[in-house]
Amino acid sequence: MDRNQLIKWLKAPAKMGHKYSLHAVYFCTGCGIIEVPPSITARWDAERFGVLPVATPRHANLFLITGYVSVKTLRAIIRTYEQMPEPKFTVGFGSCPINGGMYWDSYNTIKHLDKYIPVDGWIAGCMPRPEAIFVAVTHLWTLIDKDMADGYKRYRDQYKAYRANQERALGKLEWPPLFPIREKQ
Amino acid sequence: MRELELYFGPQHLGMVGNFSITLQVEGDRILKATANPGYLHRGFEKLMEYRTWIQNFPLVCRINVVEPDHIEMVYAMAVEKLANIEVPERAHYVRSIYLELARVGSHLFGLWAYANMLGFDTVAQWAMYHRDLVMDLFEELTGGRVYHIYIWPGGVRRDFPVGFKDKIVNTLHSIGGCVPDYDNTFFNNRLFYDRAKGVGTVTREQAMAMGGTGQVMRATGMQYDIRKVEPYAAYDKVPWDVPTRKDGDAYSRIWVVRDEMIESVHMIFKLLDAMPEGEVYHRVPNPFKWKIPKGEAYVRCESSRGELGLYLVSNGENKPYRVHFRTPSYPHGLTILEKVLENASIADVGNIMISLYVVAPEIDR
Amino acid sequence: MATAVSNQGKTMNASLKKKLDSVFDKIHIAVPEETRMVVTVQKDAALSVLSFLKNQGFTHLGLISCVDWIHQQMFELVYILSAYMQDDEKTIDREKLHIILKAKIPRENPRFHSVIPIFENAEPYEREIHELFGIYFEGHPRLEPLFLERQYKIPPFRKDFDTRKYVRKTFDTIPPVEKKAGKR
Repeated sequence: MDRNQLIKWLKAPAKMGHKYSLHAVYFCTGCGIIEVPPSITARWDAERFGVLPVATPRHANLFLITGYVSVKTLRAIIRTYEQMPEPKFTVGFGSCPINGGMYWDSYNTIKHLDKYIPVDGWIAGCMPRPEAIFVAVTHLWTLIDKDMADGYKRYRDQYKAYRANQERALGKLEWPPLFPIREKQ
Repeated sequence: MRELELYFGPQHLGMVGNFSITLQVEGDRILKATANPGYLHRGFEKLMEYRTWIQNFPLVCRINVVEPDHIEMVYAMAVEKLANIEVPERAHYVRSIYLELARVGSHLFGLWAYANMLGFDTVAQWAMYHRDLVMDLFEELTGGRVYHIYIWPGGVRRDFPVGFKDKIVNTLHSIGGCVPDYDNTFFNNRLFYDRAKGVGTVTREQAMAMGGTGQVMRATGMQYDIRKVEPYAAYDKVPWDVPTRKDGDAYSRIWVVRDEMIESVHMIFKLLDAMPEGEVYHRVPNPFKWKIPKGEAYVRCESSRGELGLYLVSNGENKPYRVHFRTPSYPHGLTILEKVLENASIADVGNIMISLYVVAPEIDR
Repeated sequence: MATAVSNQGKTMNASLKKKLDSVFDKIHIAVPEETRMVVTVQKDAALSVLSFLKNQGFTHLGLISCVDWIHQQMFELVYILSAYMQDDEKTIDREKLHIILKAKIPRENPRFHSVIPIFENAEPYEREIHELFGIYFEGHPRLEPLFLERQYKIPPFRKDFDTRKYVRKTFDTIPPVEKKAGKR
């Protein structure tokens, strides 16, 4: 470790701890799940970056949304996202969460994921390589250093707009609002 | 004891793929299981009616993400049947080698999932590493690791590059040399026998009544393989056997998977030796204005999970009129899974589901 | 070797065609190639033809599909049958054949009987057709939605449902929550 790193560790140890242990929720959302097992096994080892899959969202702080999102899956994604403790980071994997991708004219997929949950970064490709996951993780580290990966704060601040969008896409939601919605937002 | 309703839902460590099962349990025993597909439904068959025949090729391979190659093959076979296109001889051999490599890769992925489920993490890492070696071959041949778009109506897109045959042989030798390690660690292991013997038994009468094909049928003793029943490509030009087992439980199905992998490797060597020279592609007419005469066709092939079929209807235009895929995971994951999970224990749900080789995108399309 | 097989295939087809013609009237049979037979029936005779074919050994129902012929205002239900192997090791000619059975029903208020009493694995196929085309199957124990979650005014796979217009109306009108951030 050089002097720069040492100073960062001494100044903000919690932030460095969050960065270097991004535990990802094990949720196979869509197509992109086919490139996640190669990146967590022996050839492209993701554990050297600190990324491990964990079983429950309560233990996780990285949500990797691999591939397209259908309407039923969006319900499960929002519930999983709201159960994760803060600080939490979301990365959209593949070109389908960005703007619908190949299924832009399908009646059952949602097209722009960041209208419903906040997304910190995107990985382009169809399908991105396992190395692209690592490039995204290192880019996420620089964003966390500069305090720009603040998706969870935006979710808290603009929860009224997010909840309104979710209700427009999914109809009535069975779970109560996560944060109290104040009228003067 | 009281009854309880459990959700073995999409976000679960035992679930590979985006699929959900609702279980009514009493204590540890499952009374009734209901499968909930639909998390991956994109409406492929409707989307394909809006795109021309050639534009559908990149779309159609994304139906089954673990092995997209058999679906390209079956779509190309149906289009060739309707449009009366001949495929050159060398292209048949190239297609067969390509499909057998895809079968090896898909079985290794299934072995990763199953070994992880049973607790054999080392074998899972080996299987995924060997699958990556096969993916490297695909990347050299077609340019993409996962989605290849290699089979075109009229042949394949391009021929093997220089030195590719030696690369295939070397990769398969290095995978095949590890088979004794796999056997000693996993297949001949007493723990695998204890955890999988007698679990998830599907008898032959049940499989025949509920539409089972593929490993589910071959584990009951019937040598039902579409490559032998209705041969396509170059499968009738080399001698090969269909492996079977007798008991129909999860143990037999995984042994059938292992035997099929070894048989595929031998078949690739025989096909490489018997391959003739020639061109691999007959030109199709202008793909933007290509109209196919009226008619319908049902073609089927043997994917690594069972019988994969396509019912294609054309109305004489430049777009398909109706497309319907018969995927093997549909009866396995909806009818057979619900039947087999009755009176099973909760600890065996993942075991049964992965040994039936259910892949969720194939059910929903 | 190839000619022997194809001759046997032709005789198999011819004998089956003769049997069907002798038992049922108002049935149209075409044999476009030696491994395929297309049988077109009236909608009332579909169940009896299916059980006759099952007794002849075609026990594997591969697919139930539906085609929307909107210009003729008819739905066409398609059943694809083939045979499992009787002997474990060798195939006989019946097993190389697959049969496509078609029946047309009117598009206005479409109803049909379920084939679950004959083929047990027809249940999810009929559920899917009910959800995506709107055909009601009498006698089906569980006609609930299989894939879809929302209600659609027109069932989505019919030809008068325009999926791009639906996407523009439903998904593109949802406003973005924040302006896209600048260079990151």
